[in-house]
Amino acid sequence: MAVRTRVEAAADAEALLDTRLVAIGTWLFLGAEIFFFAAWWFAFFYLRAQDNNQAWKAQGVGPPSKGYGTAVMILAIGMAFSYVIAAGQPARTLWFRIFTPMALVYGIATCLFQGYEMWHLGFGLTQGGYASVFAGLSGSWLIQVLLATGWLASIVMQTGPAGDTIARRKPAGSFGWILLFLAAVGVINYVLLYFVA
Amino acid sequence: MVVSERRLSLPNNPITGIVLAIPAYFFGVWLGTLFGLIDDQNTGVILGYLFATVAFLAGVGFLNYPLERLFGWRVTPISDPAENRGIGRFLRLSLDHKVIGLQYLVTILLMLLLGGIGAMLIRTSLLVPDASITPPGNYIPLIGLHSVMMIFITSAVIVGPFGNYLVPLMIGARRMAFPRLEALSFWVVPPAAVILAAATFWGGFPTGWTGYPPLSEQASQGMDSYIVGFTLIAVALVTSAVNMLATIIGLRAPGMTWTRLPMFVWGIFTTSILGLLAAPVLAAALVMLAMDRSLNTSFFLASNGGSNYLWENLFWFFGHPEVYIFILPAFGIIMEIVPHFARKPLWGYRTGVVGLFGVALLSWFVWQHHLFVSGIAPVLRPFYMLSTELISIPTGIIFLVTLGTLWRARVWFTVPMLFCLGFLFNFLIGGISGVFLSDVPTDVTLHGSYFSMAHFHYTIMGGEIFALMAAAYYWLPKMTGKMLSPTIGRVHFWTMFLAFNSTFFPLFIVGLLNMPRRVSTYDPALVGLNRWVTVSAYVLFGSMVLFAANLIYSWFFVSRPALANPWHARSLEWQVPTPVPARNFDRVPVIVAGPYDYGIPNARPVADLGGIVGVTGGG
Repeated sequence: MAVRTRVEAAADAEALLDTRLVAIGTWLFLGAEIFFFAAWWFAFFYLRAQDNNQAWKAQGVGPPSKGYGTAVMILAIGMAFSYVIAAGQPARTLWFRIFTPMALVYGIATCLFQGYEMWHLGFGLTQGGYASVFAGLSGSWLIQVLLATGWLASIVMQTGPAGDTIARRKPAGSFGWILLFLAAVGVINYVLLYFVA
Repeated sequence: MVVSERRLSLPNNPITGIVLAIPAYFFGVWLGTLFGLIDDQNTGVILGYLFATVAFLAGVGFLNYPLERLFGWRVTPISDPAENRGIGRFLRLSLDHKVIGLQYLVTILLMLLLGGIGAMLIRTSLLVPDASITPPGNYIPLIGLHSVMMIFITSAVIVGPFGNYLVPLMIGARRMAFPRLEALSFWVVPPAAVILAAATFWGGFPTGWTGYPPLSEQASQGMDSYIVGFTLIAVALVTSAVNMLATIIGLRAPGMTWTRLPMFVWGIFTTSILGLLAAPVLAAALVMLAMDRSLNTSFFLASNGGSNYLWENLFWFFGHPEVYIFILPAFGIIMEIVPHFARKPLWGYRTGVVGLFGVALLSWFVWQHHLFVSGIAPVLRPFYMLSTELISIPTGIIFLVTLGTLWRARVWFTVPMLFCLGFLFNFLIGGISGVFLSDVPTDVTLHGSYFSMAHFHYTIMGGEIFALMAAAYYWLPKMTGKMLSPTIGRVHFWTMFLAFNSTFFPLFIVGLLNMPRRVSTYDPALVGLNRWVTVSAYVLFGSMVLFAANLIYSWFFVSRPALANPWHARSLEWQVPTPVPARNFDRVPVIVAGPYDYGIPNARPVADLGGIVGVTGGG
């Protein structure tokens, strides 16, 4: 076994510490995210329960195509799980380099499908509480998925030998929890907006 | 893949940020006008502010890291704190927590001046009982701007300068967990302040800091400043909280166990939990309000399936914890400073920590007391009345811990200690008047009056700002390397203490006499009291000028260098040299004793600063 210098040992300790900090930071961030989406879910139930002026769902307003909703949800789950599989692979393996771009493709497709759906809702944003919550909740989720997809793209671009994703694979792994969280929020939104509403 | 050696070559500084922000604003306005669903300028103004903020942050250098990653380039490191010297470091993006702390300090003091001028204008208007000095159309926006600006400042006034500068030093860390997030939490502050101030050009916002619909939906474009400015405050709160919490959890030096953590750090810890979880709810509510104003949705419009109570619930779910976001670090400061000058161990350390957590926990269960007068279901009133009254128990515990520490102590009446004692006096009045307001019948009578206004000024200004001053006189010598004049400090304290009470105590009386707040006219019978209050307010403002004069006099004219430990304190931040070295400690220290073992014979030093090589997290 090679003898390590003090500098190498300190660098390893620094990397280990970074890993721990990113994991802590990720869980804290997810705590904030839960409260952000909980506010939207509260709005959903509150306005639905109040049904002021019988305008929760104005006449003719109902959930848009379930097919699109299902597709968006499946794509988001695909993105999260592809990345989680990738992040679980040993460093610099072929599987990491296959699953990470796959997650990116899923992410881009999620954004495109959700964006297209929001452009073709079949109801206007002015048509009552449900329309408002649908646009706000889906829009907020879409923006976050878009940002996560951008970060995913940067991970793909940094997958080279000098990129920091390989060197700091565990911090990159923490990002998987964010994607899983967004996928879970996507599922909850799907159930609420398409079935409970 | 070969990683490119290319770099983003834009010079990164605030000037570049401003240069980029101006066209970005007009681009956003143009885009909003193009796609806006409503025939007004709300969409454009909101997009303009957002684009300008992003462009400013890009100019400062925040987008370099994500963009370089995205392009597959090698990430440019931001210069090492050890190489980063000179005055210029305060004018650009820095990842050194000490620089960020001082950047915060100067910015917040300037904003405090702005908010204070607003207060003086309000009081000047109230010299006469009619609206002859300030017409109602100007008075209400003035109240709005003063309130939001002050809420903004008081959210960050302790955590920003003192939390950022001191937390790593106090826990034995050589850096923050996420320096980029820490810097971001500061650099969104200037755009937020400019955007809030820009509301003036659009006629201001008429809702005060609470932004209640339907008024906020009908208001002019000044309301868009409120939405974007407040959203940036939420961003600052969340980013700051993630960084602080991760630092305290993950970067404590060996031996810095949870039971040795300084009380100030506990104050920052608990307030960060509240900021982390409360601010996202505000952000969601603001997005809803922005959508109502720009996309014509109806979250808060009852006639179209919305509800204004939705806003009230979401806003106060944030808004009441926000009050404790102000005060928890102040409690931390008081419990931190008092043992040093009482030269006694902190009485009931663990009880004090329980008190902080008790306040933090209960603050989530009280928000509906703000809705007592706006139509809350009667059956819910007793619960929220009791939960609000319950919060006085952990607050009382914190008071007992402080008073127990003072009991039979041989107190050093230094300027920081005077401000701590002033805090205890003022906050006691603020707290007791709060118990009256938590009581439904009293609240229904007094909610809209100056009694309520006097109450929250006693807690925020009499509490938090007095704690801020204690912190300033106590820690600025470490942060700036210069001692402040104790003579001017004492004059400052007594002027501020007397003028504060002379300003705000009579407002309890005018409140009980039913003078309504947020109204520019009042019963002529109250003119005497109001003039007394206004004159006192001028003196109070003068006392703040005295503080500024002390800073300028001590820093630039006398320049008395501060010793490393002028107060003979035990806590870790005082064990490092002044000015603090770039990496805080030569080696990570090993903590061997608590920070409050004053007066204990043969007490061990707080830390072995010889420490160990490398980086060690955890406790």
